[in-house]
Amino acid sequence: MSSRIAYLFLLPAFLLYSVFVVLPILQVVGFSFFDWDNGIIGQFVGLNNYSRLGGDGVFWAALSHNAIWVVLTLAFPLMVGLLLSAILAERKSSTIRWMAAIYFIPRTIPLVVAGIIWGWIYNPLFGLLNFILDGVGLGNLAGAWLAESNTALLSLNVVGAWTFFGFCVVIYLAAIQSIDPSLYEAAEIDGAKWWRKFRDITVPLLKNSTLFLGLYAAIEAMRFFDLIWVTTQGGPGYATEVLTTHVYKTFFLVGDFGYAAVLSVVLLAIVLTLSSISFWVLRSK
Amino acid sequence: MNTFAIGAIAIASTVTAVHAETAVTQWDQFSQSGISAAGPAMDELIATCAPALDGASVLRTIAPSIGIRDSYRLAVSAGKTPDLAYTWPAASVLAGYARVGALAPLDGYYEQYGWDHINDFYRGRNSYEGALYAVPMEQDLMGVYYNKALFAEHGIDLPTTYTEFQAAAETFKSAGIVPVSFGNRGRWPATNTFSLILGLTAGKAAEEAVLFGDTPWTNDSFKLAAESFQAWANDGYFPRGFNGVGYDEANALFLSGNAAMTITGTWVLQDMIRGATDIDLGVFMLPPMEDGIEAGTMWGEGSQWQLSASASSETQDAAAAYLNCLLGDEAKQVWVQKANTVVIGTTPEELAEWGADPVVQEFFTAGLATSENNFYDLHTTLPESVTQVLYPELQLLIGGEATADEFLNKMQTAWELAIANGERWIP
Repeated sequence: MSSRIAYLFLLPAFLLYSVFVVLPILQVVGFSFFDWDNGIIGQFVGLNNYSRLGGDGVFWAALSHNAIWVVLTLAFPLMVGLLLSAILAERKSSTIRWMAAIYFIPRTIPLVVAGIIWGWIYNPLFGLLNFILDGVGLGNLAGAWLAESNTALLSLNVVGAWTFFGFCVVIYLAAIQSIDPSLYEAAEIDGAKWWRKFRDITVPLLKNSTLFLGLYAAIEAMRFFDLIWVTTQGGPGYATEVLTTHVYKTFFLVGDFGYAAVLSVVLLAIVLTLSSISFWVLRSK
Repeated sequence: MNTFAIGAIAIASTVTAVHAETAVTQWDQFSQSGISAAGPAMDELIATCAPALDGASVLRTIAPSIGIRDSYRLAVSAGKTPDLAYTWPAASVLAGYARVGALAPLDGYYEQYGWDHINDFYRGRNSYEGALYAVPMEQDLMGVYYNKALFAEHGIDLPTTYTEFQAAAETFKSAGIVPVSFGNRGRWPATNTFSLILGLTAGKAAEEAVLFGDTPWTNDSFKLAAESFQAWANDGYFPRGFNGVGYDEANALFLSGNAAMTITGTWVLQDMIRGATDIDLGVFMLPPMEDGIEAGTMWGEGSQWQLSASASSETQDAAAAYLNCLLGDEAKQVWVQKANTVVIGTTPEELAEWGADPVVQEFFTAGLATSENNFYDLHTTLPESVTQVLYPELQLLIGGEATADEFLNKMQTAWELAIANGERWIP
């Protein structure tokens, strides 16, 4: 088959991709150079909308919250997932299947639903968490988890971790099962205990999976919106504001389409950069 | 509130004449429960007012009261505004829609149908550059819903001064009862409460000096209002974690008898009356909070009917005739009896004659007594860009994470920017 025919077969996909992905992106980029009034496009303003970024404290707060989210996601769900999958991998295959399925359940729950469930758990009036803390004599630790700036983001990250760690377990389990068992047998003959095998065999050989999960988590951390919106709408104050909620408010609530387009372009640039790194790193492996 | 926020438009279509040549698309917020639960009245009035449509039909979409604001803005930007919409807010936001030509001017219909019951205050809030662009319908007032049994049990008379209100709150707090149920997770409830406190602390003239004049937000009377609101939170008037409590949850806390009062508006009367199965519900007006300030409450039109500029003249005519029916004497009675919704121009005497719920009568008799002095609703008076600063900054203020000065400085900055961008609305 000539390459010309091959390109012909690719044409429908290319057209669809152009119409539904490339053009809308270019449109948003174009919008960012114009002034808007209640959704009606105004005059060309060049980079004026972009010049507002530096003085927009909410943007920088949101960006820092996204960064914190990435770090926390890398720290907890990945580590917990790695540890759990290593422990689980030594069990019977039926146990592995059941446990993996159980761990994976939170991943199947839409973030909106997860937000509602955890909103109830954290509720300062009737929340389960405070009820349990009171019940076990730790009532002094009970708090308004999503209503206080120092706990809100962390509390929401726990929800994010809850929905993500099962995914990590499944990915790691699949990778662990592909490790040559003779490596472990040899280590055992040399007297290696569980921790040594985990540290020196499992962790290094799961590097690719960790890389994939880390980059995937970072991209997801830049994109998530629904969990924040149904629980705190970015509050209290700006404590849980992230880039997507800032874009949403600027576009839908304020109607400042030009600046919302700027924020979207920045968000897109970050996600595309992370995706490119991810693609490049995994491909090079 | 959050359940209303994302993509939650429920659609209910009522086609009254299948073969009609003209369909009037209508968006409204009259659902069967929650805020603006006037669905039963709307259902009945669509049937009653169908003849006024002269053969046209109504194709109706119900959007939740909080969400319809955002849905309508998107419709404006897409050039897809419904022929007829009952949405909010008026004033600065409505002016923005009129400015970009999304709304049809209604002066001709005001004259044709003699909608004289809509006074200058309401006309001003629904005008842009001298032309009328909307028809306000219901009256929204803020007041204090209270649990009569709890007040009686603790020997508390209805507060007639702010000092008495504070004493009542302290008594309830000492008894382990939440004095004022309040939930601000949705961020907008604090705006209403602050609007009321602002009016009762600074007074209407001071509000107008800022909103329509050159006085900055950082003036002394506004600072006093901000400090008072913060003091309520610091002094334990509100439930624990109020910034994480939903508006509906706060109402439920009050209706369950676990809070003595809740300060909100008439827009939730229907739900309050329905939900008050375990408590004896009453209403009073919060007294002035500073010497020399006249009694009053925050009020507005809540929402308003508006016609799309892109609708054909036949559709606009049909919609206006239908609207005239919805505002008529017969309809006013239906709004009251089926939805506890009080149309502008309805008198306390009419409410009594129509057998309105006692709470409705109490609320409007007290609220309308001070109608000349009633205060501005910041929510509907400020441009959206300022409102979106007010929401988080109020959370920080009452959460104790910002001082009154910090709050007012942020507001002043947002206010100056809005004025520079031509977003300020002046009646």
